[in-house]
Amino acid sequence: MSWPLLAAFLLVGASALAGRGRAYPWLLGAGGLGFLLGGGALWGGEASASGFFLMLLGLLTLGLAPYLPDYLAHHPKEARAYAGIVPLFLLAMAGVSLAPPGFAFLFLWEGMALLGYLLVALEGPKAQEGARAFFLASRLSGAGLYLAFLGQGHLGPDWVWAGLLLGFGVKAALFPFHLWLPLAHPVAISPVSALLSGAMTKLGLYGLYQAQAWFGPPPGWVGLALALLGFLGAVYALVRGLGEEDLKGALAYSSVENLGLMLAALGGYFLTGAPLFLAAFFLHQVGHALFKGLLFLGSGALAERRLSRLGGLWRQEPFLGSLWLLGVAVGAGLPPGAVFVAEWALYQGLFAASGFLVLGVGALALVGALALYFYVRLFGLAFLGAARAEVRPELSPGMRGGLLALAVPLGALSLLPDFFLKPLAQEVYPNWGVFPLLFLTLGLVRWLARRPHRAYGTWDCGFPRLSPRMQPNGLGFSEPALRLFPFLRLEVGERPRLEEPLAGVYRQLGKAYSRFARLVQTLQSGSLHFYLLLQLLTLVVVLGVVLL
Amino acid sequence: MTAFLLLLLAPLFGGSVKWLKARLTHRRGASPLLEYRNLAKLWGKAWVRPTLSTPVFLLGPALALGGALAAASLLPLLPGPGFAGDFLVALYLLNLGRFFQMLSALDTGSAFGAQGSYREGLVTLLAEPGTLMALGAAALAGEGLRMAGFPVLGPQNALVLLLVLASLAVALLAEGARMPVDDPTTHLELTMIHEAQLLDHGGPLLALYELAASVKMLFYVGLMALLLPGPKVLVFLGLAAAWVLALGYLETFGVKLRYLRLPDFLSYNTLFGVLALLGAVWRF
Repeated sequence: MSWPLLAAFLLVGASALAGRGRAYPWLLGAGGLGFLLGGGALWGGEASASGFFLMLLGLLTLGLAPYLPDYLAHHPKEARAYAGIVPLFLLAMAGVSLAPPGFAFLFLWEGMALLGYLLVALEGPKAQEGARAFFLASRLSGAGLYLAFLGQGHLGPDWVWAGLLLGFGVKAALFPFHLWLPLAHPVAISPVSALLSGAMTKLGLYGLYQAQAWFGPPPGWVGLALALLGFLGAVYALVRGLGEEDLKGALAYSSVENLGLMLAALGGYFLTGAPLFLAAFFLHQVGHALFKGLLFLGSGALAERRLSRLGGLWRQEPFLGSLWLLGVAVGAGLPPGAVFVAEWALYQGLFAASGFLVLGVGALALVGALALYFYVRLFGLAFLGAARAEVRPELSPGMRGGLLALAVPLGALSLLPDFFLKPLAQEVYPNWGVFPLLFLTLGLVRWLARRPHRAYGTWDCGFPRLSPRMQPNGLGFSEPALRLFPFLRLEVGERPRLEEPLAGVYRQLGKAYSRFARLVQTLQSGSLHFYLLLQLLTLVVVLGVVLL
Repeated sequence: MTAFLLLLLAPLFGGSVKWLKARLTHRRGASPLLEYRNLAKLWGKAWVRPTLSTPVFLLGPALALGGALAAASLLPLLPGPGFAGDFLVALYLLNLGRFFQMLSALDTGSAFGAQGSYREGLVTLLAEPGTLMALGAAALAGEGLRMAGFPVLGPQNALVLLLVLASLAVALLAEGARMPVDDPTTHLELTMIHEAQLLDHGGPLLALYELAASVKMLFYVGLMALLLPGPKVLVFLGLAAAWVLALGYLETFGVKLRYLRLPDFLSYNTLFGVLALLGAVWRF
């Protein structure tokens, strides 16, 4: 292990012990820098996926270091626990990305899942459902990994890869196992949501990518399944997210969308081996981590998160508004943002592939148009227009610093994607060409702002008294789009509601499981004799299996 | 280079359509060149800032025109920059303008602006996948996945390219906010799509938006011109004239579709796109 990484582990570990002292942000920040440098060296040297993940983790940690102590000062409940567990969680994630396949990996993986669960559950009773979903998803993911790791050498590659697809796919929100993510991520406090969406989900992708080195090349159906489910999940999540009222919930759906595209890129890579897919896969990951981290950290300044109650936040806090606009524009896949460059690479890869994979182009274009709609809704309803309720964003200097620490690398990444992609030896189009356009536009805006103008009320069609409630609310804005997709049912009327049949299926499964668990519970009689009998029976059965 | 050409021709294009529509309804009609003077007049005026608005209000018109011009500069009618996948960048640059236009409409806090905003989103949702697939089909049938390598219509690729042309024609109507998708001359806010987003933009801001709308339409005309045989610029000018005629007649004798019927019309775009792409892959 190189010395910056070693130092990073020590520093982050020390910050876990330091509690909420004055040294805390510096320790955490220095640790983040260590992850960034050590990971960057690994990534630059041999294009290692571990190095890539550490670099991404370092970037997020640098944003979190100034943000977290200030945020926790406003969040006195459980602040000590958060301050201690977050560094441990960072260490567990870094450990997973460095661990060799085997016991150490599984141990760290489960440790990371457990710490993540604690971070969600700490938020108290209102996070209970989300924490439970997180826990169940972790169990499912663990089950898949045990199947793959223990079955290696005994089972065929089909079974091993099915286990991997389940184990890592659940973490990376592979459709249809993605439902836990929008339940679990938004209920945690914002810095934790940023870590879960920004970094932890990427470990699922990391695992799938590394698995081809650990378990041999995947059978053909794995790539096809990843591509198909990836695109399906991306479309599904965006449409479902259009009906989401909670700002952070919508961001979580957008995470599912982005992860879907990354999974599709990985599927394309498994199928064709084209480096363009890899470029899309890695660039999208780091772009998503930065912009989603920025948006989640930004939403930490809001006490009210329901879209239909927000509005006009920009005028109250232009700093937050402009940084959110940057994140939203990148997230909507607009040039010259890093996410667009990644999508461009994915498009190019799909065009170069032959056969049905080309139809992925249509899916990707649909995702692009949906993302546009999705982010206009999110930003427009919350930050622009008239305020619908009294909401004061609270941003302390440290929180501002954390937001900037994510926004600056995001801009740099968009400006110079080729520098970042150098280890892959894959170039993208000359993205810097768009920047003169942006400068000219900003110049035009400045010029217009100085031209004579006067303030006047918004056009009200001749009827006086325009009220803030006349603006469309969260569901009203997306109603025309929601009508188009048959997998969701929108009930309009006095109390508009969105029904999701897929979630109903999961609820039924959950009920069936509970019934089964109750049935098993009858074994738990409390009688010692009965337990001894069961142990004896187990012994006999095991001996029988071994001997026969 | 191409961007300048489109910028110069844009007012003439819009003005000609207006003139033709006036002639078809037995009015004398203003000269097509009036549009230039109109834009100059608007440019010199002061603008009105809605009290609720933020800097996003100005970003809308500026980036609508900026995005459209940047997309136009990639169009290889005249020599200019080009690279593999440039058509994707061009389409997404149009999206960049649209994104800020939609936000700018929400920025006023007006119910009408918001209505226009989500309707525009719906039109994008319906039109974009088909358009992109159609352009992808043209790129796959040509060389180097770039606009400069697009093939020209010939007997060996007629089926694919005709489908692409049909898809682009539908896309032009949708993107340019023309009938039957939207009615540029409607006076009723409740039925507007494009105009509802500009209700509060006046003076130079309105001029920017109007220019952007015409440049966007000419961009699609330019895409179609790339697929037809002959010297590119001349084909482009001829095709633009043909589109003036088509739009004039369509908007005089046609009617605007009901908003809820839009998916029926725009799904043709998707259909053409899918068929063209499949045709390009299996080389029909």
